[in-house]
Amino acid sequence: MPTRDELEIVALSLKVAFWGVAASLPLAIGTAYVLARKRFPGKTLFDAVVHLPLVLPPVVVGFLLLVLFGRQGPMGRLLEPFGIVFAFRWTGAALAAAIMGFPLMVRAIRLGIEAVDTRLESAARTLGARRGRVFFTVTLPLAWPGLATGAVLAFARSLGEFGATITFVSNIPGETQTLPLAIYTFTQVPGAGLAAMRLSILSVLLSLAALAASEAFTRRRGVRSDA
Amino acid sequence: MLEADVEIERGSFRVEARFASNAPIVALFGRSGAGKSSVIEAIAGLLRPRAGRIAVGGRVLFDAAAGIDLPPEERRVGYVFQDDLLFPHMTVRANLAYGERLTPAPERFVEARRIVALLGLERLLERRPATLSGGEKQRVAIGRALMASPRVLLMDEPLASLDAPRKAEILQYVELLRDELRLPIVYVSHAIEEVTRLADHLVVMAEGRVVAEGAVADVLSRADMVELAGRFEAGAVIEARVAGHDEAYGLTRLAFPGGELVVANVDALVGEPVRARIRARDVALALEAPSKASFQNVLEGVVHSVGHEFGAIVDVTLTLAGGERLVARLTRASVARLALAPGVRVFALVKAIAIDRRSVGFA
Amino acid sequence: MRHARLAAALLACAACALARADTLTVFAAASLKEALDAAVKPFEKRGHRVVVAYAGSNVLARQIESGAPAAVFISADAAWVDELEKGGFVHPGTRRNLLANDLVLVAPAGSKVQLRLAPGVDVAKALGEGRLAIANPQAVPAGKYGKAALASLGAWNAVKDRMAPVENVRVALALVARGEAPLGIVYRTDAIAEPAVRIVDTFPAGSHPAIVYPMVLIKGAHPGAGELAAYLASPAAGATWERFGFRRVP
Repeated sequence: MPTRDELEIVALSLKVAFWGVAASLPLAIGTAYVLARKRFPGKTLFDAVVHLPLVLPPVVVGFLLLVLFGRQGPMGRLLEPFGIVFAFRWTGAALAAAIMGFPLMVRAIRLGIEAVDTRLESAARTLGARRGRVFFTVTLPLAWPGLATGAVLAFARSLGEFGATITFVSNIPGETQTLPLAIYTFTQVPGAGLAAMRLSILSVLLSLAALAASEAFTRRRGVRSDA
Repeated sequence: MLEADVEIERGSFRVEARFASNAPIVALFGRSGAGKSSVIEAIAGLLRPRAGRIAVGGRVLFDAAAGIDLPPEERRVGYVFQDDLLFPHMTVRANLAYGERLTPAPERFVEARRIVALLGLERLLERRPATLSGGEKQRVAIGRALMASPRVLLMDEPLASLDAPRKAEILQYVELLRDELRLPIVYVSHAIEEVTRLADHLVVMAEGRVVAEGAVADVLSRADMVELAGRFEAGAVIEARVAGHDEAYGLTRLAFPGGELVVANVDALVGEPVRARIRARDVALALEAPSKASFQNVLEGVVHSVGHEFGAIVDVTLTLAGGERLVARLTRASVARLALAPGVRVFALVKAIAIDRRSVGFA
Repeated sequence: MRHARLAAALLACAACALARADTLTVFAAASLKEALDAAVKPFEKRGHRVVVAYAGSNVLARQIESGAPAAVFISADAAWVDELEKGGFVHPGTRRNLLANDLVLVAPAGSKVQLRLAPGVDVAKALGEGRLAIANPQAVPAGKYGKAALASLGAWNAVKDRMAPVENVRVALALVARGEAPLGIVYRTDAIAEPAVRIVDTFPAGSHPAIVYPMVLIKGAHPGAGELAAYLASPAAGATWERFGFRRVP
C-alpha cells in the first residue's frame, strides 16, 4: 500500500505529465499539420529543429531551458509580469516534460494527418466549408488515432523525464520532485533501497495503466468510425 | 448559363477548353486523360487555371485578367466525385447535413425531405458510409452535394466505380434530378451510353482540347467523331416520341419525322419524348428495301458521307427523310460492292432488339 | 549522474582497450575540479597520463562499488570512504586526509545582501521570493554540511522548504552565478573560483563537521597510483592547492 508521501509524488508526476501534454498539444497539432500538408523553404530545417529534443542529451535541453526560461532568462523575464513562472516550480517541470515529448507527439500526429485523404478535404470545401472548418470537422477527427498515439507517447515520456527536469528546476520535494527524481534521490541515500524499489514499482504500474487507457481510447473511437 | 474558358497547366499536360451552355445537362465527353476532370476541378475551384474565365448564371467564379478567384467554399458548386468521398466518420444524415448547415438560410432552396425521398435515402440515414453499397453511397453523395443548394452540379464520372445494375439505377436518378430540379448539371464521362441518355449539350474533348461541341444528336453523328474522340461506340441518336405499344409482342413504336422505329418494350407513356441510341454496328445498308427479312426497322435515307477507314471498317453517315443522321459501320468491301457514295439512296436496316432498354433515354 | 556514469562506462572501455601502463584514473569530488586539474599537470610530465572524473562524492562511491576502474578516490565526505572501506574496496593503509575546506554562503556578484552567519540568522528573510541553491542535503556531502550548519545556527526549519536541491555543489554555484538563486551554499574554493558570485559570510567552523577530503587508493589499482597519491600530498603540490583556496592537512 503506497504511503501518503508516495501518493503525493505520484500525484505530482501525473499533474506535471498531464499539463505538459495538454499545453503542448495544440502547438503539436499545428506543427504536425504544417509538416504534413505544407511545402515551404526551410521545411527540412524546421523539421530538424522540432526533432532536436529527441537527439540532444536531456541535460543540454534542461540547461537551455534554464538559460531561456530561468528568472534571469529572456523568456522568463518576459512572462513574469503575467504571473507565469517556470523556475523551480512544477510548471517548469511540465515545460521540460512537454519539450522532451514534443517530437514524439508531432511525429505521431503527422502520420495521422497524412493518412487523411486530401480529397475528402476538397469535398468539404466544395460543400461550403472554409479551411478552418474543414480542419476541425474532417481532418482532425479522421486523424484521431495519430493524436491519441502522440499524446500517450508524450505522456509516457513525461512520466519518465529526468535529465532536463533536474537540470532546469532542480529536485524540490513536493514541487518538482517527480517520480523519476524521487527514485533517483532514494538511490543516492544509503539504506533507502526499499523506498526506491517501491516507487519503481509504482512507476511501472502507472506506465502500464497509461498504455492500457490509451489502447481502450483509440479502439473505442476507431470502432465508432467504422461501424 | 455556364461559361467556361480555361487554360490549365498540370505538369507537362496542357488543357485548353472553351464552351458555354444553357442546357439542363452539359456532358463533357472524351477518353481518359482528355482533360475533362481538369476542367471540372477548375470550375469547382480545386484547380487554378493559368488563364481564363468561369461564370455560372452570370456570377463570375474565376477571371484571371480581373484577378478574381473565388475559393471553392464560396462558389456554391456541388461536386459528385467518382469515389463518393463520403465522410467516413459521420452518419449518412450528418454527411447530408454538412453542406446544408454551411449554406445561409436565405440561399437554401433545397428541402431535405424532398432530396431524401427523391434519392430513396430514408432507410440509410443512421448508417455509416462503410456499411453502404456502392450505389447507396453514390446516391448519398449526390444528396449531399444537392443539400448545399448549389447553383450548378458537377458530376465527375459518377458511375465509373459501379457495376452494371448500379449504373442503371443511378442513371435513372440523374435523369430524375434533371427533370425534377431546375439545376444545371455538368456531367463528365467517357461512357457514350451515359452521355447519350443524359445530355442535351455535348462537349467532346481529346488531348486537352475541345474538338466538338453542340447538340448531342448532331455531334455524335459527325463522321469524324471516331478520330476525334477515339474509337468509342460510334452511333447516332434519334429524338422521337412514343407512338404506341404492341402488348402482344412486347414492342414499342417510336415516331419521328423520318419514320418510325420499332424497339423492345420501353416503359413510357404514349406521347413521351425519348432519345434512342442506335449503334453504328447495328445498322446495315441495302440499295433496295428487303421484303423477306427479319429487320423490323427499314428506314429510307441518302448517304451523306463515307468516313475514314479503319483497316477493314468504314463508317458511313446517312441522312434520313426528316433530316436525322444515322451511322452505319460497314466493311470497305461492302461499301465498294454497293458503290456507296454521297447522294446514293439507301435503306438503313436496324434490328429492333439492338435498340434495347439501355439505349432509350427520356429527353 | 548520467554524465559521470557515462564517463565511467567510457573510461572502462578505454581502460580495457588501452590497458596501457600509463593511464591513471582518478575519481574526485566535483569541488576539486580546477585545483586538481592544475595539480596533476606537473605529475603528468613524469610520463603517466592522468584522467580525472568529477562528480558528487556519493555518485563516485557507488560507481566504485559497481567496479568502476578508479585508481585513486578523493572524496568530499568521510562517510562514503568509510563505506568503501567496509566494503573492502580500499587498499589498506592508504587512507589519508588530503585537504580541508570551508563552507560559505554566496550571492550573485551584483547582490548587496548582508548577513552574519551567527545563531539566529534569518536566511529565509534574505531569500525573499527566491530559493537557496544547495547540493542535495540528503545525499551530497556539500549539502549535508550545509544542512548541519544551518541547523546548528537555528535557520534550517525556516529554509528547508525554500531550497533548490541540485546534483552537486557546482550546479548550486552555477545557479547563484546566473542569478537564478539569490543565495547558495558552496565551498569556499568554489566561491573563489567563480567571479560571478561574492561571499556573503563563512559558516563558523563549529557549525558543521570538519570538511576534509580523504584520499584512498582503490584495491587492484595500478602501482603508479601510489606515486600519484604521494605527489598530491607533497609540498610540491601544496602550493597549487593553496592557490585555489584549499588548506593542506599535514
